[in-house]
Amino acid sequence: MRSLMTARVAAVLVGGMLAVSLATAAPKIPRLKSGKPDFSGIWETTSAAEYDLEPHSGRADAPPSAGVIDGKTIPYLPAALEQKKKNFAARSTEDPRLKCWTLGTPRGIYYREPFQIFQRDRDLTLLFQFGHSVRTIHTNGTLHPEVTDNEFYLGDSRGRWEGDTLVVDVTDFNTETWLDRAGNFHGPKLHVVERWKFLDENTLEYRATLEDPEVFSRPWTLRVHLNRHREKDFQLIENYCFTLGYDKFYPVPQQGTHE
Amino acid sequence: MMAHRMKTRWLVTVATVAAVLAGTQAHGQQPPPGAGIQREKSVPKLESGKWTGKRLADGQPDVEGHWSNTIANHNNWTDPQGGVPGDPNPRATPKTQRSERAPSRVSDPPDGELPFQPWARAVQQEYLQYFHNPTKEQYVEPLARCAPAGVPKSFTWHGYEIRQFPGYVVFLFNSGTRVVHLDGKPHLPENIKLWNADSRGRWEGNTLIVDVTNNNAKARLARTGEFFSENARIEERYIFNSDGTRYNYVATITDPTVFTRPWTATIPARRFTLEDEPDGWHYEVALANQPAGKPPLIERYERICVENNGPFGNVAVLGAK
Repeated sequence: MRSLMTARVAAVLVGGMLAVSLATAAPKIPRLKSGKPDFSGIWETTSAAEYDLEPHSGRADAPPSAGVIDGKTIPYLPAALEQKKKNFAARSTEDPRLKCWTLGTPRGIYYREPFQIFQRDRDLTLLFQFGHSVRTIHTNGTLHPEVTDNEFYLGDSRGRWEGDTLVVDVTDFNTETWLDRAGNFHGPKLHVVERWKFLDENTLEYRATLEDPEVFSRPWTLRVHLNRHREKDFQLIENYCFTLGYDKFYPVPQQGTHE
Repeated sequence: MMAHRMKTRWLVTVATVAAVLAGTQAHGQQPPPGAGIQREKSVPKLESGKWTGKRLADGQPDVEGHWSNTIANHNNWTDPQGGVPGDPNPRATPKTQRSERAPSRVSDPPDGELPFQPWARAVQQEYLQYFHNPTKEQYVEPLARCAPAGVPKSFTWHGYEIRQFPGYVVFLFNSGTRVVHLDGKPHLPENIKLWNADSRGRWEGNTLIVDVTNNNAKARLARTGEFFSENARIEERYIFNSDGTRYNYVATITDPTVFTRPWTATIPARRFTLEDEPDGWHYEVALANQPAGKPPLIERYERICVENNGPFGNVAVLGAK
């Protein structure tokens, strides 16, 4: 009788301690030898962000979504808002995605095709299935290039660690990319600050704060989750979709079909 | 003084890289003959064996960094320094005898020729005949439209970077990116065909051995039109020397639908480091912007082709009208 009682007390005590430690402990996450979080893996969002970052009802080319922006809508300056409306009206022909052009930062992150992160101490290599383009996030203490006329599709990315959060400063953009299929856009002075962190070992929270004094009235933030692909033998399959237009010119020669 | 000179040199490089990226210079524009693409005339012997050099934490031989072939570009597969036969530019005609130039990239058969079946030889000759006057779209090399150069042409097209990660070797080419999987997973289903094919590799000593399937076989081997089919199986052996300065790419191509026998390609490559001058072809890098006092570090900018496809691709594509 007494020993049963002791066991019960012990069980309650252990249970209580477990609950406390679960509530306060950081999630168990993969780490590099250096101790930094290891984001290596194949990731993809399940959100509808890429259809339209802002809240919207369902329409022929987008499922409904409550949006992914803190404060719901993008704070465009008046002239930029007009441009956004034009982009929206022309989205079925003007979206750079339709040419399979590199989607840019941040759009490539929440596009609905997987991307893979390869990580070393000095950098993260992001390989996007769509277009198979590569972005490097440097985490070796280097700074943005001194030259100021670089114009990159994916921007120049320099990361640093704030605890277990990877904070990436991205600059040096061109204006060839959109932010989603709804025509949301940016200008050449776009500056993105990303915050990447694990929610659990298979889920990342990705936040991006965008500022562009020529397009937005203030900085604004979007937030999506990224899920790890865990299917057996899952791999990226290069999608050089920009080659599809001329694919027909290059049938592989076969005996008997020549001439 | 030395440091100052170096910095100036690098700034010039950065400016050049930026100009290329901004589209003010042709993508893949070739320096005039003799400007440095064609460097060596022989292939050093490298044997498979023990790796005694540096290793990465996961045990792979450390071959990370910047590399390029030492012989020539993809103008001509079997006479790599011979230019493209029929080139209307008189400057492109080689001034040397064949014996004075680098050997064929076909290291077996010993005659340096691909063992084409007769119909396939005719297809190759037809492509070459129209290369300089592409009267049909199919005679424009896909690379001129920014298609990936594929396997194995990527190894003769500009310098490239190798990055290694647990379970992977990744090639960042000038045109295209290729991932070699080291984890033994099965190949993709065979009806999936890819510009860079599907690669499964393993290290044996100093040699990376890669089994290559799922090739869409559209890239051709060179401007001279050599090709294989979607049925090709390629076994690649990347044989590194232990000081990590060179490797030979040795690939055996088996494709009974096109060739009379398997044949072997050999492409020598060497490493480029901070000691090398960036040259806009073999070695296209920038000096990282570092806080004061840090040692110099090179890095690679983004390579985006089709979106910047101004002069080079358009010239070729427009020429195909």
